[in-house]
Amino acid sequence: MSALLPEGFAVAEPFVADWVLPDAAARMAKRQASNLAELQSFYDMMLPLGEAALAWLRGYELGDLPEEGERLLKLMLMLAEVAPAVEWYNGPRVTDGFPIERVRYLRQIPDNAPQI
Amino acid sequence: MNEMKRPPVPPIGLTAKHPEIGTGPVDTRIYHDPEVYTKEIEAIFKRSWFMIGRVEQIPNAGDFFTYVLPTFRLEVLIVRDRDGEVNAFHNVCTHRGNLAEHRSEGRCSGLFMCRFHGWSYDLKGNLVRVRDEEGFFDLDKSQLGLKRVPIGIWEGFIFVSPVDEPAQSLEDYLGEQGRDTAGYPWGACTQSYQLEVEIQANWKLVVDSPSEVYHIPVLHPTSAAPTMMASGNPMGRLLDSQIKGLHRTNSHYSVMAEPKPVQKLAYFHAAAAQNVAQTDRGYEFPVGINPTRSDFWTVDLIVFFPTLQFTLSAHMYTAHQVWPLGPNRSLYQQRVFVRPARTAAERFGQENSMVEYRDVVMEDFSTLERIQRACDTGRIKQFHFHDHELALRHQHKVVTDILDDYDREAAKA
Repeated sequence: MSALLPEGFAVAEPFVADWVLPDAAARMAKRQASNLAELQSFYDMMLPLGEAALAWLRGYELGDLPEEGERLLKLMLMLAEVAPAVEWYNGPRVTDGFPIERVRYLRQIPDNAPQI
Repeated sequence: MNEMKRPPVPPIGLTAKHPEIGTGPVDTRIYHDPEVYTKEIEAIFKRSWFMIGRVEQIPNAGDFFTYVLPTFRLEVLIVRDRDGEVNAFHNVCTHRGNLAEHRSEGRCSGLFMCRFHGWSYDLKGNLVRVRDEEGFFDLDKSQLGLKRVPIGIWEGFIFVSPVDEPAQSLEDYLGEQGRDTAGYPWGACTQSYQLEVEIQANWKLVVDSPSEVYHIPVLHPTSAAPTMMASGNPMGRLLDSQIKGLHRTNSHYSVMAEPKPVQKLAYFHAAAAQNVAQTDRGYEFPVGINPTRSDFWTVDLIVFFPTLQFTLSAHMYTAHQVWPLGPNRSLYQQRVFVRPARTAAERFGQENSMVEYRDVVMEDFSTLERIQRACDTGRIKQFHFHDHELALRHQHKVVTDILDDYDREAAKA
């Protein structure tokens, strides 16, 4: 049986199906479509894994990640998207903010392509 | 940052250094009047240069991208030729006006072929192939190449002029501001996110949005305020505001606050792009960046009038561009440029910087359409600018002066 995530991160496996997304635009949409309780539960699960996840990811150059590592990276990128909702706004949306659904991404940095 | 120093409170007195700009209330007419807008296009926008990309997008011969200048609906094709030159063309086939190249970017093997009737142009824009040429009448192919668009490159940024004969050179347009900020490692930030949003607001209001930090404690209480007002600067004042002809720079005060948990992960475990103060930069700032050489500096807002602004810190920067679409409509484009990530951990740092920045801008922009609606009623006739809203007062003065000159020239003619 192959694990969805690298060894040591099994606790996050139930989140892979819903919280591993293809790119930043999809992550933004996922946050906006989630309620605070959903965002909070993802955040509370992921934050304690953060240091260990980054330590693991530091061992791989972009482009060389195995599939389970790419999923772990994408969970961390989702954590970056979720963080302001939990830490700043207490909800998915920027408090009294501009309607973010009107924002269009024209270019994104690929999640796992070599940059150097 | 020197931990031993007590952070100074930035003083009032920025506006007093520029007596010509005045201190009184300003007329809000320029933010909504259609007649003003029409004149601005002629007197300001057609006389400016516009950044549309970077040379790193087209490193090799044949590499190209296309872009539409929203204000002018001008389609341009940017391509590197085999001599290494970067050319800008009106992206329109000279046969009957279809797009010469329909893709947004790519590598051309040598010929751009219009997908209407197959007329083909080489990398220097020459018309080299007309299908079934014998059916035409005295066609002079040498005169029917793609029309050139004036182009200039500054620090790796590709600028074009929206008119065939620019009123000034790119160098003159950039002026002192360009000279004073050249030398920043612009090209080191090779990775970018880009987004755009249409806003029902006058271009000047959108430019104003990041141009003052008087609002920081109120509009950004949980995001930017903890670092930008902090203990030494309870009112969230600027370090300085410098005026360079039509252009200007705001220098931002900041002290290191306690980062939020995910920020901590990004800053301390995934450094690739950071927006926080650092002493170990590995390069010297040009004179126009952190111009006061403050230990409490984090970010400059570097403005090239009318509508190109850079929010710039030691290791990353964001280019903001506002494209007027009407007296109360603009297209805002944001490009976040960050250093390349080597490891997968650094990739997290990039994403964190982008998300933080995007959300702070959404806080900024919350006010714009409301202000525009108020202006459009015609019932709010004046704005009152704080000393540290000097940048807004300067923009108002620059625009008003240019329009006055334009009216005088028109009266003479």
